[in-house]
Amino acid sequence: MTLTAGCDVGSLTAKAVIMRDGRIIGAQVVKSRAKPEISAKEAMAGALTAARVALEDVAACVGTGYGREKIPFVKEVVSEIACHAKGAKWLVSSARTVIDIGGQDCKAMRIDEHGEVIKFITNDKCASGTGRFLDVMARVLGISVDELGRLSAGAKQPVTLASTCTVWAQADVIKYLNSGIAVADIGAGINIAMANRVAILANSVKAEHDVCMTGGVAKNNGVVQTLAQLLGRRITVPRKADPQLAGAIGAAIIAGQL
Amino acid sequence: MRPELKEYHYDWMLWRILAPASRVADGSAKELTHMYRYAPYFKGILQPILQEGAVGSTFLKMMTRYMENLNTAHRRGKKIAITTFCFSPAICYALDVVPVTLEVVTAVGGLMWKRGTFDYLDYACEIGFTETSCSSQRGALGAYLAGLGEEIDMVLCDTPGICDTNANAFAFAAAYLKKPFYHLNYPQGLADQRTEKYHVDDYKAMIRFMEEHSGNRLDQDRLREILREVDRQDALLADLEELHRLIPAPLPPIYNVFNYVGRFLFSGSPEYTRLLEQMVKKVRENVVARRSGLNSGKEKLRAFLCYIDHYSLNWNFWNWMDTRGIAHMGGILSRGFRDNACYTAELPGSSYSLDMGSLETMLDSIAQMNARLPMVRSIRGPYDQPNMWLEESLAVAKMFQADFMIYNGTPGCRNTWGMVKPFAREIEKHGYPVHIMYADAFDDRVESWAATQERLNEFLQVRGLL
Amino acid sequence: MSKAMLEIFYDAAEKVNSAAINAWKAQGKKIVGNTCSYVPAEIFHAAGILPVRLRGIETDNMAVGDTYFGPYICSFPKCILQLAGEGRFAFLDGAVITPGCDAMRRLDECWRKAGEDIPGIVPPFFYYFDVPHKTAPHGLDWFKEEIRRLIQAVEQHFHLSITHEALRASIRQYNQGRRLLKQLEDLRATPEAGITGADAFAVAVAGTVLPREEYNSRLAELLQVLEQNLPAVADGKKRLLTMGSISDDMDLIRLIEGHPKALVVAENLCFGVRYEGPELEENGDPVAAMAQGYLGKSTCPRMYGKYQERLDILKQTIARAKVEGVILQNIRFCDLHGSENSLFQRDLEAMGIPCLKIEREYGPLTEKGRIKMRLDAFLRQL
Repeated sequence: MTLTAGCDVGSLTAKAVIMRDGRIIGAQVVKSRAKPEISAKEAMAGALTAARVALEDVAACVGTGYGREKIPFVKEVVSEIACHAKGAKWLVSSARTVIDIGGQDCKAMRIDEHGEVIKFITNDKCASGTGRFLDVMARVLGISVDELGRLSAGAKQPVTLASTCTVWAQADVIKYLNSGIAVADIGAGINIAMANRVAILANSVKAEHDVCMTGGVAKNNGVVQTLAQLLGRRITVPRKADPQLAGAIGAAIIAGQL
Repeated sequence: MRPELKEYHYDWMLWRILAPASRVADGSAKELTHMYRYAPYFKGILQPILQEGAVGSTFLKMMTRYMENLNTAHRRGKKIAITTFCFSPAICYALDVVPVTLEVVTAVGGLMWKRGTFDYLDYACEIGFTETSCSSQRGALGAYLAGLGEEIDMVLCDTPGICDTNANAFAFAAAYLKKPFYHLNYPQGLADQRTEKYHVDDYKAMIRFMEEHSGNRLDQDRLREILREVDRQDALLADLEELHRLIPAPLPPIYNVFNYVGRFLFSGSPEYTRLLEQMVKKVRENVVARRSGLNSGKEKLRAFLCYIDHYSLNWNFWNWMDTRGIAHMGGILSRGFRDNACYTAELPGSSYSLDMGSLETMLDSIAQMNARLPMVRSIRGPYDQPNMWLEESLAVAKMFQADFMIYNGTPGCRNTWGMVKPFAREIEKHGYPVHIMYADAFDDRVESWAATQERLNEFLQVRGLL
Repeated sequence: MSKAMLEIFYDAAEKVNSAAINAWKAQGKKIVGNTCSYVPAEIFHAAGILPVRLRGIETDNMAVGDTYFGPYICSFPKCILQLAGEGRFAFLDGAVITPGCDAMRRLDECWRKAGEDIPGIVPPFFYYFDVPHKTAPHGLDWFKEEIRRLIQAVEQHFHLSITHEALRASIRQYNQGRRLLKQLEDLRATPEAGITGADAFAVAVAGTVLPREEYNSRLAELLQVLEQNLPAVADGKKRLLTMGSISDDMDLIRLIEGHPKALVVAENLCFGVRYEGPELEENGDPVAAMAQGYLGKSTCPRMYGKYQERLDILKQTIARAKVEGVILQNIRFCDLHGSENSLFQRDLEAMGIPCLKIEREYGPLTEKGRIKMRLDAFLRQL
């Protein structure tokens, strides 16, 4: 009946997960604050409340994400690449390739049957190819990110967008909107641009079956479907828990192995 | 890469598109209208070509021939070399090697397909190219690296120290595909005796390399035959250039592409000579009728592209020029710098001559000719040195009475982005407004055509040109 | 080994205006900068001039660099131009520009043009040294002629004479330094490693700016101390090799070694042993010796087509220093190293040597967090 916890403080959101015997009993996602320790505390408090346990009951907590060094209550900090791999493995047990798209970065990993990283790559360009890219574009279109994801299905002639720079892509979207091009075609163009960037990373690690996608962008069906077409592989989006929690889940699992 | 793209070779697909297009080219207007209905995706690229009548039809036949040569090379027992636009393919024809000029093959994809060569561009990055490397080779090369093209037998380039990203693409290809590699190397000067000797020494070493890897010996008579054809082509080009100085310019903007694509693919071959003959004929007709080459017939401005063109889908860039009444006064790609070309008078030491007297003089001629191909001629040294980019651009712009200049390249172009700002500043001092395009000539995903066009229009307006 | 022993190396490696440069100038002597490993330092040494490798350390903005260079350009030459524009290279009596790569050779125009706007920033002796890209006989002949012309230009500008005798003496002096550096590399290859990657790198980088006699004697002292009692620096750590684009960035090595399990035991960079290269022939024609040493044996990627040779050298270094992981870094827009790093990754990983590829900016180390994240994951993998 050991309780473990994982806390993933990212650039846009902070996530905390409480696990008991390999099952999630509490989780919380909050918007990141200016100080990572505050975000961590908020997320953890929410997760503890949901799990109806106290921090003292938790045997070990592992921290990850950009703010990991600042989290006060963790026993150890672990790179989010390792945590996301473990988390994805827990979410989709057959996963051998993990594509994780977070708010400000994107990573692709190949993992073994234990969820250990064999090969990984992360984006090192600007926001294009990250969750932020979709946020910005959805805002320009005046729709939610979820709606943006659904636009691909209704597109007839997706537009070509500047995909290497978020600012330029934004200018393109505005231009297309002003010239009366259907929102569905613009939306699909955005999802394609995003998928293109991610596909380069996924192919760079030589994606193998099963391909699993985690992170907030996994909820965007337009991107997932386009990416599947580009890779020529089916992509599994976790149903077991929110794909955004992968890093925190992995951290909680690693906490159990300490 | 999309799995469906892996079903066919890239070069084979281009051939299968161009071959039927060239066959319908001689049809009647009615037949063409009917045919367009069956080729909705290619209408945008075909129509402007076919509209040029005999010139367009000859161009398509030339392109088809090139693709056929490439796709059937191995069956015919020939070796294939990947080369670059800065390298004259004439020597390949002299040695019976089939050249694949990567940048042209990339541009064709970009002009013809909505998604251009995106998948191949990205594939190259997936296997290790930097995303910041030049797209001009990367598009077509991506296909060859993926095994989606005829097998390459050797790699030839001549850009180390002039365009590193270009040279690097070829060096990478050679290392990745494990193929023999030779690179010509140019010093920073152009016309002094020491440099010319280096040109010849290096060129001779390259011929030995080509002989070794093609199994063919360089035949003096064959070389002479090729150079005679080059001579004819140079004379026709000199005619075209002379006529192009007229106001209004009698050449349609698209002729600029026909001109250099022919030279990069078929220099020294009769296919290119036929195209040039047709072009001169058509241009003379325009001159007699005092007709501008523009569709509207009304020339408002004359633009000099101080670097390269923009190969966006369906001739977007040329259409834009044509509809805005802008005559295309050529660019760095258009000019061969033969001693009979009108613009060389202002640039002493810039040109080459042909001497077919002996093998030695022929080798010297072809080495000096090769040293005057785009980029390797005037981007090799600091831009403000004699014969280099600034002098050349100003002389040509003056000769062709350009009203303004456009710089366009790719973000991979380290050699020009390294100094285009001070270069443009100096050009401006001579009275030419310069627009620096931030787009990628071969990848619309860097800046979409919609945005590029808006910036071009904005420039014309802000600078009071139109 | 005491900290004080290393101080002179760190000072030279991390300061544009190092104590050694100030002391040299105080004696009224000349300094000529160069931008690439192809400029024979012996020419200047023989002329009594201090040759220094130009670097872009200590920059905090890019206002000048970005004014002349375009946006898609490596930050290394931009940082050099930035320092020049800020007058930080006021100690230079000359600068030699080489076509090391496209971005570096454009430093010629950009520096001169910046000099038109900011008077006094272009050193009086400003020279373009045309290094060919091949070692074929005609390439070496060209390079020999370039060396002769450079010697002549230095003689004319500085009103002095550089004899073959003096050049041979300089070659001997530089060869001694090369041997000492090689000795240091051998120590790093021992199981104890003896010295941290950061300390060793400071020593290597300092060699490009310190007066040679002083450098040789300080390095000899350091080696003596180390050899007497070799510290077990490698204790339980993963042995790493760094390579790729030009880097004199101490912070990057510190960041790597900030991980409790990481130790850098070798480099393949154009600072350090690769820059110093093999020893030059001490007898005979010194021009031929320099041509052979600086170009003939060069395997920089700007020579093109030398990948296999480079891989072989790398494999030897890995085996010798018992390297367990390789960090392949490239500066953004450096296509030469960037794409070559991918080939290395492919071939080294096939041999079972894990690699981490990172793209970074030159100058003040940014994106530390992102690089650290990847380093952590990489070391976990090891």
